[in-house]
Amino acid sequence: MFKKTIYSLLFSSMSLLALETGDSLSQNIQNNLKLEADKVYVIDFFASWCKSCKKELPLIANIYNDKTVEVIGINVDKNQEDGERLVKELELTFPVVYDTDKSLVESFDPLGFPAVYYVKNGKVLNVIFGAVEEIDKKIKEDIKAIK
Amino acid sequence: MIKFLLLAMSASLFMGCSLIKEVKPWEKETLAKPIMQFGGLHPEVTKFESHVYFSKEASRGGSGVAGGGCGCN
Repeated sequence: MFKKTIYSLLFSSMSLLALETGDSLSQNIQNNLKLEADKVYVIDFFASWCKSCKKELPLIANIYNDKTVEVIGINVDKNQEDGERLVKELELTFPVVYDTDKSLVESFDPLGFPAVYYVKNGKVLNVIFGAVEEIDKKIKEDIKAIK
Repeated sequence: MIKFLLLAMSASLFMGCSLIKEVKPWEKETLAKPIMQFGGLHPEVTKFESHVYFSKEASRGGSGVAGGGCGCN
């Protein structure tokens, strides 16, 4: 914690409240996202203006469609219509939460976008910030390691 | 005493940093707009205008536009 505080003071882009590997989600977030016990969830934060998100989302949707893992998308667009348009355009089948009041994204406080969190039993198992070339392969490997 | 002074100086330095509110990753919608890219919405137009300018003024540089420098390219 002390190290984290020092780093946060030195680098203003880091936040003290950012959820990291090993941190627990609040009961409120778990309830909002309807997370079930003993299931691994991939929580993906995205926005319609984020080009890397657009690239990754179809790959993440494939993972959800072949039932590799449960996926929850969290759209952070100011206007919900923009998010809905993107979901329709990319034909995303996984559940999407529209975080227009930014309560969820501010709780997670990701350090980059797109942001992918692996969560099991309310605990963050791993985090990926920024674009990953073949995110589907990466998630599959990570899920295999987790299971 | 010196330690205290150092601590106070460090604290004031860090407080200065904290005055600047950071832009969070999910707040970068405006920054992600095409108009925000270097050279504006149509960088090719900016490049062309720059070419005309340095050809007329017989001077170039400082704008980051690549070219031959003779004004004939």
